[in-house]
Amino acid sequence: MAEVILEVKDLQKSYGDKKAVDGISFEVKKGETFGILGPNGAGKTTTLEMIETLRPIDGGIALLDGIDVAKQPQKIKYMIGVQTQSTAFMDKVKLTELLEQQAAAYGEQIDPMDLLKQVNLEDKASSYVENLSGGQKQRFSIAAALVHKPKIFFLDEPTTGLDPQARRRLWDLIKKVQKQGMTVILTTHYMEEAEVLCERVAIMDEGKIVALDSPKKLVQQLLGRGFSKQEQIEQANLEDVFLDLTGKELGR
Amino acid sequence: MPKWVFTILVFAKISIRRYFRDKVALFFTVLFPLIFLFVFGSFSKNNDVSFHIGLVNQSHSQFSQKFVGDTKKNKMFKVDKEVDNLATAKAKMSRSEIDATVVLPADFGEIKNGQNPSGQAIIYYDQNNISAAQTLQSVLQGQFEGINSKLVKSPAPFSVVSESTNTQGLSKLDYTVSGLIGFSIIGLGIFGPVNYFPQMKKDGVLRRLHITPLRVWQFFVSSVLSNAIIGLFSIGIMIAVASSPLFHFKIIGNYFELATFIILGILTIFGIGLAIGGWAKNENQAAPLANIVVFPMLFLSGTFFPRFAMPEWLQHVTTFLPLTPIIDGIRMIATEGKHLTDIGPQLGLTAIWAVIIYAIAFRAFRWE
Repeated sequence: MAEVILEVKDLQKSYGDKKAVDGISFEVKKGETFGILGPNGAGKTTTLEMIETLRPIDGGIALLDGIDVAKQPQKIKYMIGVQTQSTAFMDKVKLTELLEQQAAAYGEQIDPMDLLKQVNLEDKASSYVENLSGGQKQRFSIAAALVHKPKIFFLDEPTTGLDPQARRRLWDLIKKVQKQGMTVILTTHYMEEAEVLCERVAIMDEGKIVALDSPKKLVQQLLGRGFSKQEQIEQANLEDVFLDLTGKELGR
Repeated sequence: MPKWVFTILVFAKISIRRYFRDKVALFFTVLFPLIFLFVFGSFSKNNDVSFHIGLVNQSHSQFSQKFVGDTKKNKMFKVDKEVDNLATAKAKMSRSEIDATVVLPADFGEIKNGQNPSGQAIIYYDQNNISAAQTLQSVLQGQFEGINSKLVKSPAPFSVVSESTNTQGLSKLDYTVSGLIGFSIIGLGIFGPVNYFPQMKKDGVLRRLHITPLRVWQFFVSSVLSNAIIGLFSIGIMIAVASSPLFHFKIIGNYFELATFIILGILTIFGIGLAIGGWAKNENQAAPLANIVVFPMLFLSGTFFPRFAMPEWLQHVTTFLPLTPIIDGIRMIATEGKHLTDIGPQLGLTAIWAVIIYAIAFRAFRWE
């Protein structure tokens, strides 16, 4: 049994009368990739933001490697890396400079080229972010979130708005990060993404966790309840056709 | 080097680089103030001339010729060359092209009684320009008395001697340049951050920094540092152009003291931009507030119009605007040669404003 790195107990957040996060609890193990799924407004982003110290916690507790997020936010900030929904950076600043600046925020000095190589952007080193494509921006923002080698990496809907090729390239990148032993917590709308990346997923609806297990077990549980799809599962779908015709590796 | 110093230096370095890549920012902070310098500077070029006068000489005496020559050389007057008779003079006066006309009658300066030349000059003036005529009259009176005392060797029992206390003298250009430095400080310190802070919030750029351990004060210090360096650069260009043969602006004060005081001014005014831009969630909140704060300073702190030209009550009120002591202090060091130790009130008032402004800015700042 791997050690627990994130422990969330009865976490709550309200906006006025509305309970955005309504007493959720879960644990994430070291090195695990944990997904939070759910429709818009389910409370996924709010949950992440509370753990990331960006939003005050109304009730409950979040412990990151034993440290209380609400009590020692400054300490937590050194431990987490966050890939935000927005991929905007300051304009007219080169990628290398942005990474240098991002690292400086943690008081660290890094080799920007080394990081850019990891996300296959070394040939864009002197470009500005505003001149990158959507997928490149996402990859760059992952590099920027990892400058200080955090213990936990949070990604909020990392592939929203990307084309299928760019999405797959990003998945490969996230898998690479996983292999380095990083704990990853991500939110997503895409079930396929959760199946590919996550060892366990929590499904949220209206501020509550309605299911929590590995994707495989969740499917088995569903089948165990006597569920069967009406149509027969096809061997390939339209997305596979699209990828086959346009080429996954050529994607930008 | 402590970590926080490293952090601040990297942030400042990158925002300075970013500024030099931003052509719009360069235009508004370097070229824009220069345009104002050319406009206002050319107004104040003939700054020695107090009166435009017409001079009609109807006499042929030697004395009158000499008098005309002296008057033309007098820096207080600009003698209109087109005026050679009273009719043109009157037409020009009615259009306010000249302030008054001096007529030397035909017998002016002729030698009567075989002793000394004598005569009476007549000053014509328009009803609108009574004060100009009175001043002109007393100036001429003084000039004549000087001549009289040479001709009639009897010492006058009472006399007034005027002595200049300040050999350099303050010209209009001195006010213009120090005012425009104030304008630069406002442009860079307020209009800049009020625009780009809400934009950075909208783009989530500040949010990304909020995730990091970067402290608000570290972010402030690095922003002030880069703003001060950029400000000294753009003000330096303006002073260089003003000092060129185009304008003949002269700095007689100590450059180091001037730069120190300008940095204090930039720090103070930039705090206003930080407070507004840091507080506002979007441009719609920032722009109106910025205008409310900026416009009184823009017009009443001596940026474009010297404050001494204002009614007295307004001068009293505007003394306490944040930009006023900054512009006054810059002028006193640059053109009056004062030292930082001489401008205690300006230093003090600016420092008090800086404390108030940053207390507000820290409280109002929001990352998102």
